[in-house]
Amino acid sequence: MTEIWTQLLGGFATAGTPVNLLWALVGCTLGTAVGVLPGIGPATAVAMLLPITLKVEPTASMIFFAGIYYGAMYGGSTTSILLNTPGESGSMVTAMEGNKMAKSGRAGAALATAAIGSFVAGTIATVVVTLFAPAVAEWAVQLAAPEYFLLMLLAFCTVSAVLGQSTLRGLTSLFIGLAMGLVGLDQISAQSRYTGGVPELLDGLEVVLIAVGLFAVAEALYAVLYEGRVEASQNRMSKVHMTRQEWMRSWPAWLRATGIGIPFGCIPAGGSEIPTFLSYATEKKLSKHKGEFGTIGAIEGVAGPEAANNAAITATLIPLLTLGIPTSNTTAVLLGAFQNYGIQPGPQLFDKSAALVWALIASLYIGNVMLLILNLPLVGLWVKLLKIPKPALYAGILIFATVGVYGMRQSSFDLVLLYAIGLLGVVMRRFDFPTAPVVVGMILGPLAEAHLRNALSIGEGKWTVFVERPMSLALLIVVIAVLVLPRLVKLLRS
Amino acid sequence: MRLQALVGAGTVLLGLGMMGGAAMIPSEAGYGGVGPNFLPWVVSGALTLCGALLLAEALRGGFRDMEESSGAAAGHWPGFAWVSAGLLANAALITTIGFILSCTLCFVLAVRGFKSAEGRLDLSVGALLKDAAIGVAIAAPVYWMFTKLLAINLPGLTSTGWL
Repeated sequence: MTEIWTQLLGGFATAGTPVNLLWALVGCTLGTAVGVLPGIGPATAVAMLLPITLKVEPTASMIFFAGIYYGAMYGGSTTSILLNTPGESGSMVTAMEGNKMAKSGRAGAALATAAIGSFVAGTIATVVVTLFAPAVAEWAVQLAAPEYFLLMLLAFCTVSAVLGQSTLRGLTSLFIGLAMGLVGLDQISAQSRYTGGVPELLDGLEVVLIAVGLFAVAEALYAVLYEGRVEASQNRMSKVHMTRQEWMRSWPAWLRATGIGIPFGCIPAGGSEIPTFLSYATEKKLSKHKGEFGTIGAIEGVAGPEAANNAAITATLIPLLTLGIPTSNTTAVLLGAFQNYGIQPGPQLFDKSAALVWALIASLYIGNVMLLILNLPLVGLWVKLLKIPKPALYAGILIFATVGVYGMRQSSFDLVLLYAIGLLGVVMRRFDFPTAPVVVGMILGPLAEAHLRNALSIGEGKWTVFVERPMSLALLIVVIAVLVLPRLVKLLRS
Repeated sequence: MRLQALVGAGTVLLGLGMMGGAAMIPSEAGYGGVGPNFLPWVVSGALTLCGALLLAEALRGGFRDMEESSGAAAGHWPGFAWVSAGLLANAALITTIGFILSCTLCFVLAVRGFKSAEGRLDLSVGALLKDAAIGVAIAAPVYWMFTKLLAINLPGLTSTGWL
């Protein structure tokens, strides 16, 4: 316990230097802007800025990226309350009640409960990360290749087969991502695969390229193709203020939602959609004001999902930092950022790069405070961003996409690939294929393959290595349960 | 339905193509018993299977559990062509005319596309100049930030790092 305390204080000392505070502030500001603007989310923003990993030192850039990640969550709620389109997917539920509240003239209260709830949940979740991440890392030291492979398999299964509408389309996305991960040199034998003699492909496909192509370029192409005539109507702002009664209704919702959000972020079950929906359902059931849900907008319906969203987002850092397993688009891109520095997140991270990890955790506390200030008194500034006309917004995003992709490898071949990935993204979006499995599969694929082959080496070529070790057997059972149980429940119900 | 079948068929083709690629990868397995060609076979096989199942769904009443995709039923292809032209022109020209000018061109073309999708395509010189000015105003600071502040190479028309 005292050890954690000393480490954390050390982290604050690093994160609190003027330069790092500036990085955090710029990250939070940029993140909020990105969250507010439709058509660009945290994964895209972090991906576009990955080239800075070439020059900026790891601690500063991680603080910066974490700020963007966090800020986007705060900013996303502003858009979903004031516009009829959610700024990012985790804010979808907020949009339902928040929009209703704004329509009945209570936009200010909705914005306040969203921002304060995000702060409360984010801070509690950061405390949980502080206390539990080192313990998880300590436990994870015992894991070897077979267990890592199964953990990654678990991440693959949950992200593709459990989330989303259709298992088949989820799996198709996953295998497309794995196929992208195959391009380049094989990590173990240095054999080139699927390079087709193109020298640019020997290094593999860049994370930036895939993420920016699938999110930013695809989003722009989709918007021009199908959404030209969609009119976004903006709700009127009102004073950002909560009455005593609104406070009394908000805080239990924040706490309950934090409790729901954190576990979902910890397990490799990806994303914040499930906890936000769960929290919404809980609040709706417990509320004394059921009549307000879906009519004039209930404040609990905004407070809960927003808090759950932030709690889950923060907790996703636990599997990312301690196991090296990303469970969402943005954490997958963050893993890419670590890899650019030659750092492999995992249990050793807390030993080898302790300074970096603790500075990052400390910056989460700092970032939450910054974001509360950025989003409450200054919310009026962010609302102005919503006035940017759509053509200029999307065309501007394309400029940033170019910087990110070109800046990474200085290759115009990548820009052609970017367009191709964008087209793929449009098809996927049109036919309701999830994108997270592509990104997670592409980044985690090569790692999973290496672990699989190392595991088989440990087992001297026998696949039974996965059932002979108690930990890996347990994980195997979890993987099977994740795949079978939801279907069994469905079958029993019908 | 026909489009969905096309998506399924495309996935099958991708899977089969990757199988062809997997066959060309040598299989020196070494210790583990699985070599560099193992995952390619698994992925290509799974993709082919997924594609076949998608095709079957498409032919028998369409993809299951589809979420209604947002926006118009039919695509606005002229707008798409403008934006595509912008992106591809950018890829073709960035090394010769430099980041700022190339991105500005991309911006101007893309804005034409989005405006045409909104039904108010404006090809007048005034509008072109105005969009070009906005494009430069976005691209130039980004360029300077990368080349001057972060010392990351981006191509310029000159080697000064300013244009």
